[in-house]
Amino acid sequence: MSRPGLATACAAMLRRDLTLAWRRRGDIAMPVLYALIVTMLFPFALGPEDTLLQRIAGGVVLVTILLAMLLALDAMFSSDIEDGSLEQLVLAPQPLALMLAMKILAHWLTTALPLIVISPLLAGMLHLPTAVMPVLVLALLLSTPMLSLLGAILVALTAGTRRSGMLLALMLLPLCVPVVIFAAGAVAASQQGLPWLAPIAWLGAALVLLLVLAPLACAAALRIALDA
Amino acid sequence: MSKWIPLWLHKLSSPPTFYRFAGALRPWLLALALLTGAIALYGGLVLAPADYQQGDAYRIIFIHVPSAWMSLFIYGVMGFAAFLALVWRIKLAEVVAMESAPIGAAFTFITLVTGSLWGKPMWGTWWTWDARLTSELVLLFLYLGVIGLYHAFEDRRQGARAAAFLALIGIINVPIVHFSVNWWNTLHQGSTIRLLGPSTIAPGMLWPLLTMMLATKFYYLASLFGRVRTDLLDLESGKDWVRTIATGGTLQ
Repeated sequence: MSRPGLATACAAMLRRDLTLAWRRRGDIAMPVLYALIVTMLFPFALGPEDTLLQRIAGGVVLVTILLAMLLALDAMFSSDIEDGSLEQLVLAPQPLALMLAMKILAHWLTTALPLIVISPLLAGMLHLPTAVMPVLVLALLLSTPMLSLLGAILVALTAGTRRSGMLLALMLLPLCVPVVIFAAGAVAASQQGLPWLAPIAWLGAALVLLLVLAPLACAAALRIALDA
Repeated sequence: MSKWIPLWLHKLSSPPTFYRFAGALRPWLLALALLTGAIALYGGLVLAPADYQQGDAYRIIFIHVPSAWMSLFIYGVMGFAAFLALVWRIKLAEVVAMESAPIGAAFTFITLVTGSLWGKPMWGTWWTWDARLTSELVLLFLYLGVIGLYHAFEDRRQGARAAAFLALIGIINVPIVHFSVNWWNTLHQGSTIRLLGPSTIAPGMLWPLLTMMLATKFYYLASLFGRVRTDLLDLESGKDWVRTIATGGTLQ
């Protein structure tokens, strides 16, 4: 029996995960609704002053999206663990890291991308100037894949445990500090009319590094967690 | 010589041998820790001159700085042991990594508390969002994440391996966090003690600091050995050597 090429396997993996996500479209809407509601709470808590909201808008949107992604992370491998398909994936002849990279990509497409699409709306609710929006979206495009990749490693590590979302938050959020700092730094710099390219470049460099290393780490973590 | 050091290390990594070795060393380490700690405290609180700017308030440095060193040092030890545990699957290395984490977290906590006590009279605030303070806080969360993950598994060895992996990720992350928060905001005073090149601290202040550093190292080892011994008994509870101890016999 000839085994399918890598590209075929990758495409099949991606198609499978996207189809599964599409069958449960309601779940895709959940992080988006969550982010909208959290953003709505800020003016209630801080008062509706334009100047204050404008100043915190970039940071609030970034942190809200980070938290929304954190909530969705738990589901990355859970159904595959329950029905045993993750074990099959570990046994498959294709490199596990590559297959996991496809799963992470599918997860990013179904959770982070909708959030990025509505991020201008979130920022608009807090009166972020329109000129800053492209920088915000750019920062999100570079930082959300990093959150997915880092999150995937940790979700893989907790694959063998009793499910606990709080533990995932405790492990993931400290690792996200640099991502948040640079993404928020770019937005803040652009808002003050300063050059914002440097933090964006740092984010891009870190993303490239993580794109290479994180799937490998994720595969190693999964092997530890599923250790039989 | 070059042949029996690896051999001795190899023997030491067997749980009963280490149990005996650690048990024999622990009282000495504890005594040394108390002795050097007392000398350092006397030197720091009584003999060392007052600072020309900060007066006597600076004396908390003799607790604060050694604890801060230890918080990083223990993370390093934990990361090294985690690496050994993952690559060679040495049971003792897993135990050392996992039992280092609570001690390191405690030192990190002491650093944060003494730092904020020092910050109140000097900076006029208990807490400020400064680079070093923030990276120390992140370090505490990294320790707590490792401890939390270790306890989340039913199987302790599997939990130890997963947490060891997390510790290794954290090792890569610590310098990145430190660099990024430095880029973000800094208020903390710079280093006055350098390994390479002359230190800019008065010698009368330096020797108690270094003595305290020794004391914290001894304390760490003593505490670690105690914890590892208990853990080994627990992990190996089905083995013969544990039964020998439990029934009051002595190890060969």
